Amino acid sequence: MSELAGASGRAGRPNQSETSPRARRRRYLLPFALVLPIVLYEGLLIVYPIAQGIYGSFTRIELASKNPPVWVGWDNYERMFSDPAFWKVIQTTLLFTALVIVVALSVGLFTALLFNRPFHFRPVARGMLMMPWAIPEVPVVMIFIWILSPQFGVVNILARLLPGVTQNPQWLQVPELAMGWMVLISSWKAFPFYSLVILAALQAIPQELYEAAKVDGANPLQLFWRITIPSIGTTLELLVVLAAIFSFKQFTIIFLMTGGGPSGATETIVIRIFNTAFRFYDYSYATALGVAGFVVSLVVAFFFILMQARRTQEAA
Amino acid sequence: MATLETDTSATLRKQTPRRILGSIGLYLTVAVVSLVTIFPVYWMMISAFQPSKYIMHFPPPLLPQELTFYQFAELFGERPVALWLRNSFLIATMTMLLCMALSVLGAYALSSLRWTGRNLFGLFLLITQMLPEILILIPLFVIYRRLNMLNSLLSLALIDAAFILPICIWILKGVFDNVPPEVLDASVVDGCTELGALWRIVLPLSAPGLAAVAVVAFFFAWNEYLYAGIMLSSGQYMPASVGLSTLKAIAQTPVEQYMAAGLVFSVLPVAFYLSMQRYIVSGLTAGAVKG
Repeated sequence: MSELAGASGRAGRPNQSETSPRARRRRYLLPFALVLPIVLYEGLLIVYPIAQGIYGSFTRIELASKNPPVWVGWDNYERMFSDPAFWKVIQTTLLFTALVIVVALSVGLFTALLFNRPFHFRPVARGMLMMPWAIPEVPVVMIFIWILSPQFGVVNILARLLPGVTQNPQWLQVPELAMGWMVLISSWKAFPFYSLVILAALQAIPQELYEAAKVDGANPLQLFWRITIPSIGTTLELLVVLAAIFSFKQFTIIFLMTGGGPSGATETIVIRIFNTAFRFYDYSYATALGVAGFVVSLVVAFFFILMQARRTQEAA
Repeated sequence: MATLETDTSATLRKQTPRRILGSIGLYLTVAVVSLVTIFPVYWMMISAFQPSKYIMHFPPPLLPQELTFYQFAELFGERPVALWLRNSFLIATMTMLLCMALSVLGAYALSSLRWTGRNLFGLFLLITQMLPEILILIPLFVIYRRLNMLNSLLSLALIDAAFILPICIWILKGVFDNVPPEVLDASVVDGCTELGALWRIVLPLSAPGLAAVAVVAFFFAWNEYLYAGIMLSSGQYMPASVGLSTLKAIAQTPVEQYMAAGLVFSVLPVAFYLSMQRYIVSGLTAGAVKG
């Protein structure tokens, strides 16, 4: 990697007139002194707990007793890999993440293309579009619990229009429906952000490209596939990775709406870790699951860094 | 948005039948998309501002029938909402102050100084920012418990700040990058040290960026649910995000009160997030998108 994209600030200033060795040493040490508090802070609150978690995954922890953790080697991992429930959780996580990426990015792309065209009241409509993104997750959960209420939920009005539906469905009690709603709600919350980023990329496409292609007789579909998509390609790739990270992290909406149920249908790994630790009090097994999640997110983060470096290089 | 306005009027002036049809289609699509997007929020307001006799009815009327406000008074009278909001406010303020102080240092080192290790530091921030919060929860819970740090607003603010700090640093770095280098050069010629330049020149020019950092850090802590729920198990420290999630619609809480609580909690974050969206986008993508 030539230079990490985000860190490519402006070049240092030449012609520093100070020459005394002390001043030079001070200048040399200054950046380290500046970032030291941050590295210490993040080290203490993020890196150290992760290291503790990795260590803990090789032990048996009993929080109720004051006994120190007992070293058990690979036991927790052997249990994890031979546990069918673990593989089901992995499946659910992949399904949820993939569906949210597809739904949220498609809607984001569609709305960005729509809002890239001039029309009256565009600022007002755009403000409305950003609303789901700005609302905190807990109220989002409250809204949808109410909307999906089998008794009085307003969504049932729509459902009743479908042929064969004579009763209000138990939206969160049927596995497929519950998963569908988790995906829809997470996508509803996330798509405005993607839309905003895609819109910025669309507005950076030079108009001359389109005009030249139109002169050559290209139709709108060709304009879209030959100019629009390639021009925002790196942005879309970056967003796919970012959407993977965000949906992999999604906790609050699923946890508060279904808790992972019904019968594990919406239990992603993040929910599983929580349930294992704080409902079954199986801390050591939960830390092993946490390490599995950590490895996955490191891999995805690596892809993000690659994409981001590529995108910044192109922009430069 | 001057160009946009001329675009619009130019498009509207040439009115061939095909064009009119096309623009009707465009407005219809925009209307449908906006309505579907905003409907859940609309439904929260409808349910919050009218008595539940209208809304506890199937099918419920889609337009408001009557406007009332008593539920807000009831909400604050019957539930410890004021205490919850106070706790949230304290946690969020501490998180905000921590992030503002630390992000200035990190952003300056990333933006204006050249040093070996800068890329490594950026990488470090990126990785911390990408990790799911739950991965740290269990070990940190064990550590906090051993140190007797559970049930303290400050302990929660410490971890909230650790999660949002990388994003704050990216936001501020983007803003520092925009300070013209000539201005900095001039200050060095005038005998300013690097730190003096940060304090006297970069910071005053970056006030909007600092405001964005304050908003992002404050409302991250305000909205945060997972850690708040685990770390603050005692009722007197309960912040609003956790308090709200303990309310159960219909079962114990009248719907208009339930939705009023959601509304009270959302007003500030929505207003501030919408006004700062450009900065937040640049932070969430670690500077890859300027917004």
